[in-house]
Amino acid sequence: MIELQGIKKIYRMGSQSLEALRGVSLKIGKGEFISIMGPSGSGKSTLMNIIGCLDTPTSGEYVLDGDKVAGLSFDQLAAVRNRKIGFVFQNFNLLPYATAWENVELPLLFDGKSARKRKERVTELLNAVGLYDWRAHRPSELSGGQQQRIALARALANDPPILLADEPTGNLDSKSGEEIMDVLTMLWKEGRTIVMVTHNDHVSARSQRIIRLFDGLII
Amino acid sequence: MIGIFFRNLVRDLIRQPLRTTLTLSGVVWGTFSVVLLIAFGDSVGKAQIKRFHGMGEGIVLGFPSTTTLPWQGLLKGKPVRVTPETVEAIPDKVPGIEVISPEFVGSRLISYGRKEFRNTVRGVNPGFERMRNTIAETGRFINPEDMAGRKRVCMIGDILAQDLFDRRDVVGETIFIDKVPFTVVGVMRKKLQSSNYNGQRDELCAFIPWTTFAALYGYKYVSNFIFRPLDLGRSKAVTEDVKKHLAKLIGFNPADPDAISTWDIMDFEKQFTTFFMAFTVFLGVIGSFTLLVGGVGVASIMRVVVDERTREIGIKLAVGARRRTILWQFFSESLMIMLLGGLIGFGLSAGVLQAAKAVPAGSFSDFVGVPVLNPLVIVSTVLILLVIGVVAGIIPARTAASTDPIAALRK
Repeated sequence: MIELQGIKKIYRMGSQSLEALRGVSLKIGKGEFISIMGPSGSGKSTLMNIIGCLDTPTSGEYVLDGDKVAGLSFDQLAAVRNRKIGFVFQNFNLLPYATAWENVELPLLFDGKSARKRKERVTELLNAVGLYDWRAHRPSELSGGQQQRIALARALANDPPILLADEPTGNLDSKSGEEIMDVLTMLWKEGRTIVMVTHNDHVSARSQRIIRLFDGLII
Repeated sequence: MIGIFFRNLVRDLIRQPLRTTLTLSGVVWGTFSVVLLIAFGDSVGKAQIKRFHGMGEGIVLGFPSTTTLPWQGLLKGKPVRVTPETVEAIPDKVPGIEVISPEFVGSRLISYGRKEFRNTVRGVNPGFERMRNTIAETGRFINPEDMAGRKRVCMIGDILAQDLFDRRDVVGETIFIDKVPFTVVGVMRKKLQSSNYNGQRDELCAFIPWTTFAALYGYKYVSNFIFRPLDLGRSKAVTEDVKKHLAKLIGFNPADPDAISTWDIMDFEKQFTTFFMAFTVFLGVIGSFTLLVGGVGVASIMRVVVDERTREIGIKLAVGARRRTILWQFFSESLMIMLLGGLIGFGLSAGVLQAAKAVPAGSFSDFVGVPVLNPLVIVSTVLILLVIGVVAGIIPARTAASTDPIAALRK
């Protein structure tokens, strides 16, 4: 599903350069649930961004679902993110001025789905996360757990095979965190590939495999 | 879709009234300037053309002069003399002339009762009326019957009528021209006239049949003649033909440029029209600069907006928005601000133009005309607004679309 071969990422700032990833090779099979762990600055987020097609590696090869990602244009990457990858962020990243409904609808809009299909899908997703009655509320009117569930619903909008979760429980109390982890586990059991970045051993214990990064390398 | 995209704009506009007002005011004022300046330029031009038409439309004036080249043994400097009969016979020999009139001009004492003025008297034929816009308001212009009978009738200018009678309804009255009684058969309709030749403006003249003029004063040769070509576009060629015809008939070098000097009104009008077109364009350009300043304001405010909404852009990019979707969103927001400002500016200028209509007609409006929101003004303003709006919108929109999603999400 996800194949990384010798991935390097070098950030250049003026004359200085920072090697965030120093040759990462990683294979994640379809339907796997893996956690990426490591201290701050170890390159977790960079790796996550590359897997999520938000960033491109400086060198190395990345094959996602059989397609080479290197060489895709920005808009082609956008289409990949839109259809193949669902993002769940630590701080939810919902549009503050848009309602729960509109936030969930966003990926469907960018995919050019018809109004009827969007309505069906958003209703289905909001019911699945148990927030249909909250559809007209803005993020600021929802609890952290509810916001993360909305974000999950949005991540699933186009039914992507891969879910990327960056510290999904980082901003939640333990009960909400558990609920989100339950949902993620359920989604994995349904056959989705899940890649999660976390600091929390308790959370990573739910995954099948744990990858530890240190100083830009897998250890 | 529209809802999600523009709610943010509307919210921004409402939440920041000062910023909105300042941004919009640049565009409003710019639009206002463009509309008023173009409308003003256009109306001044039209008013001048109208005044110009006071002397006549589509006519060529010919002034017999003196030769400047020797011809068949004759020295140069010989006066060129043309009789009215020769003039009236020109259309039989030279094709392409719609109407022609000879003209005698003299300064004569014109009196009624105890009032007496030395004014210009013009001896012409009935064709003169149409060519020179000396249209009768009451009564009529001189007619063929007057011509044939050498009648002592006249049409007088509106101001001359006022001066002589202190009123205008004077058809049927008798005035004296050099002690000879003439019946007034018409009073000229008031007109604006900016150009003239030989004597006073038409509002002060008396027009009599040239046959009468010649008989009374013993004139044989015309002061000048006037004709209108059938095809106004061929006035130059027809004028040349007329000159050649007269050269052959009277005996002067057909290549002599000054034997008959001519004044082609259409030539003059073309220059005039071009000049005022350039004048209007110039004013439009000045207005555009004002609007450009407004556009710069919109562009810089939109840069700020893009900066404030970086995170929103990042989220949209992460969930699959293409660059052009983001580009289009911010571009259309800028354009909407421009168009909103433009609309208000249009409204304001329409109000001012409406108010300007209430200014009583007088020498000011004769000169400046009445500026109106005509299609020329509207189309050119909308075009300028669009061009500046597109430029002002594309710059911040490109910034927005080139946002790095990772940096934006971290913000």
